[in-house]
Amino acid sequence: MATELFIWHTLSDALSDFKSGLSLAQNSGAESLLVLTCSQNNYPEEELNALFHACPLKLFGGIYPMLTLKGDLIKQGALIVGFKETFDVTLFSQLNQVTHESCLEELITSTLQEKNNFCGQDDFLMFYDALISNIEGFIDCLFEHLDHGINIAGGGAGNLDFIQRHCIFTNSGVHSDAILLVALPTTLNTSVAHGWETFDEPFLVSEAQGQTVQSLNYQPAYEVYCQTIENATAYKFNNTDFFDIAKNFPLGIKDINNNIIVRDPILAKNNHLQCFGNIPINSMVYLLEGNIDSLVASTEKAAVSLLSKLNKTTIATTMVFDCISRALFMEDEFEKELNVIAEHCHSGALFGVLSLGEIANSQSGAIRLLNKSIVISSW
Amino acid sequence: MNKALFLISLQHELAMAIGNKLDLKAMLKIFLKVCFNRLDLTSAHIYVYCDQSGMPSKSLPLKGTSYQHFLSIPKNKRGQSWSKSSILTNFARQLNNTQKSISFQCDNGQYLFGFIIPEYGLLTFETHYALADEVQKALQPILQKLATSCYTSIVHDSLVKEVHSRQLIEEKVAFQAQHDGLTRLFNRQHINHLLSNAIEDAHINNKMGSVLFIDLNRFKPINDAMGHTVGDKILLTLAHRLHSLSSEDIDIGRFGGDQFIILLKNIKEDYQETINLLIAQINQLLTAPFVIDTNSYKLTCSIGYALFPLQSSTVNNLIKFADIAMYEAKRAKTQRGKQYQRVMSEKIKRRLAYVDDMKQGLEQGDFELYYQAQYNHYGDIIGAEALLRWQHPVHGKESPAVYIPIAEESDLILAIGQWVLEQACRDIKKLEQLSLPDSFNKIAINISAKQLIQHDFQEIVLNAVKKNDIPAKRLALELTENLLVENIEDSIKLIASLKENSIDCAIDDFGTGYSSLTYLKRIPASVLKIDRSFVTNIAKSSESAAIASMIISLGKTLNMDILAEGVETKEELNCLKELGCFHFQGFYFSGPLPFDEFAKLITNN
Repeated sequence: MATELFIWHTLSDALSDFKSGLSLAQNSGAESLLVLTCSQNNYPEEELNALFHACPLKLFGGIYPMLTLKGDLIKQGALIVGFKETFDVTLFSQLNQVTHESCLEELITSTLQEKNNFCGQDDFLMFYDALISNIEGFIDCLFEHLDHGINIAGGGAGNLDFIQRHCIFTNSGVHSDAILLVALPTTLNTSVAHGWETFDEPFLVSEAQGQTVQSLNYQPAYEVYCQTIENATAYKFNNTDFFDIAKNFPLGIKDINNNIIVRDPILAKNNHLQCFGNIPINSMVYLLEGNIDSLVASTEKAAVSLLSKLNKTTIATTMVFDCISRALFMEDEFEKELNVIAEHCHSGALFGVLSLGEIANSQSGAIRLLNKSIVISSW
Repeated sequence: MNKALFLISLQHELAMAIGNKLDLKAMLKIFLKVCFNRLDLTSAHIYVYCDQSGMPSKSLPLKGTSYQHFLSIPKNKRGQSWSKSSILTNFARQLNNTQKSISFQCDNGQYLFGFIIPEYGLLTFETHYALADEVQKALQPILQKLATSCYTSIVHDSLVKEVHSRQLIEEKVAFQAQHDGLTRLFNRQHINHLLSNAIEDAHINNKMGSVLFIDLNRFKPINDAMGHTVGDKILLTLAHRLHSLSSEDIDIGRFGGDQFIILLKNIKEDYQETINLLIAQINQLLTAPFVIDTNSYKLTCSIGYALFPLQSSTVNNLIKFADIAMYEAKRAKTQRGKQYQRVMSEKIKRRLAYVDDMKQGLEQGDFELYYQAQYNHYGDIIGAEALLRWQHPVHGKESPAVYIPIAEESDLILAIGQWVLEQACRDIKKLEQLSLPDSFNKIAINISAKQLIQHDFQEIVLNAVKKNDIPAKRLALELTENLLVENIEDSIKLIASLKENSIDCAIDDFGTGYSSLTYLKRIPASVLKIDRSFVTNIAKSSESAAIASMIISLGKTLNMDILAEGVETKEELNCLKELGCFHFQGFYFSGPLPFDEFAKLITNN
């Protein structure tokens, strides 16, 4: 039996259309609403605040660069999913002010105390402002202080221009600098894929600070990165935008079980590489490469592994957190990736977001921030 | 090749994660986090060896060290500390017993891997996969490095603790140097220091300030009667109350005993108003009774103050002046405080000179005892009261009402009292050699408070009797009602003991104090002397007559003789007789006479 009982979308960026959809949703008999909108809509924030304040149903979601619905990509418009249960929602806000580890611990432990340690709640969706500076510190700390393992899937909200704006929805309005944890009423299953592979010997991260890699093999990180790519490919960094080449060659941290955590280099500055996720100092990183086929194939594998094990009698809700950079990489062929998921998703709603960073459990149970990856989640 | 590279990089990353913090827990947490992420762990735990006080230490089994759970990622499991997980606890025990790396597969398919941190603890990983042998071996040199870092952190922690405890001690010493041990208010030295700074500041910034000297009234009797514990509790309560007044411009200190000092800084031209307000606040703080161990005490205080730099700019002078003003306030029995005036010092100078005169007078024999005879209703002399007279070289005959209070403020009263005692004994000896009428009983001398509290007072009296070889029954002591009440328990014992030695006591000025009848009943005195204020005009004042009548009945009830003082007229005498009083003293019969004249009077009687 599906947990959702209402799904509505629009390809229009007009607020009036969104209002109509929200009104329909409110009258659908649903108890909770997942509201997702495209950043391109540019809905006036005050209007959204007023709408969400006035909404009598539990409301959560966010603004993402793009949305997906079954095999289709929604570049502008909105998507509203109504659920018959009242979802429990927890907002952590003003996180950029929580700079010290002890303050973060205090924020998380006091919230966990208020929420009785999420007792009996093991399954969560996480919507967060992608431009929070210490998202990995937050998820590490959350994992450390939660007294039970949880299943989680999530994605970073915001805009591709990397300017921090309000992008997380709750009944109290639109928030920036915030993380929203939504407890699901049924078990969440996830499957993760990226399809990127190593193409060169690893490098030692000899200097790094958070998301900035300062040197690789004791050489300036940017120089090493460019030289390696230029030596092995026809790309030349001199006369090309950095990200146009870098989107094809992410960095990867290999764990003990040969799983690769991808890190997307998004900016080159002062001979350093700025990634969209932490790179630990003294770790080994690989240069990765991929192609549309390998990426789509890995997605298909993940979709099969997740969706085939779902009980045939269960009509699950499936939500995809797919990295926007995969869409930028695959360009016009991106819908191939959506289609392979849709092909294997025979029942229930299938929708998703193109996110700026993805959240999922590792095999060990820990919570990880991923880049250039896809998280398919079903509940 | 890749495997080797992986192992080397793993070792490198883990090794580099060690020793990044000095604090043991912080250091181990960083290491554990890197292990957690790099080795894809489900949970990770560290146990450390601790000494008997529970502090992390090197493992020394003979000295009682044992391992204790120290750190885990995640922190807890299902609301419980990992130290309560039986699987993990058993595994740690086994690991500690074997003292080498071990592993275990749990029922849920998870693995536990245990490693020894040589001499410092145990490290345990929970994984969802089997950790390869070569990875386990690659961890060994890392664990050795971790042990070294543990040693460094423990040494550092103990140094930090030592520095901290030293800091605490230094703070304590600094506090003790500036604060009074009982009340924790500033002590005298620190108040002096603060006052010195305040004077300097007042000079530089053209400001004014004041020193207020506070002394509790009648605190000593409480301390004497109830003990120092109660006294200290009262002082502590008062200190807390006074402390509520402290602010940026008000410092509170204890000067000593029941004396407190308030330093008032930065006051403006309307200083008088500010000081009056502060004095009112101090008095207000005293209005609530001091409840100590179910007893309630009501206290007042006397306050004197001096201004700086107006009246002085030296610490000692200012405190001295405020003290002098406080004594003036005490003498004046005012709660409104007194500002120091130069005349107060002059008065003190005069008083000191007067005390010198008294000393000299005593040495040169200028003091003399006069005797005022006491009569029964038949007109027989039954005794006399010895009265001190002093011929001042300049002022002539001085009134005892002037010099006795001054002598009482100094220890001179003891010397005077001693002289009176001995002279009275000498005079009794002379009287004994005359033919005294049968009615004559004894000579009474007045005793002051300071004499009475001498621990050997009884011995002094008995020695004088013995030295002059007179019958003890010829000597009596007169003690005022107030004096008795102040030291009630000791007084009762003393009077009883003197009585056993045939020396009677009379309660002088009876009716002017507020002695409790319960106490009076217990005082074994022989005579109650009705104060002259009730005798004067007794025939015309029904109030005086009523009081005298009450005292007479009281005396009869308590089996004491009643003697009326200050009988000056026949009417007074008759009235007293009518009321049932039959012993008298006063000018109606005879004024105080020099010994020789008194001796004549008695032999002629």
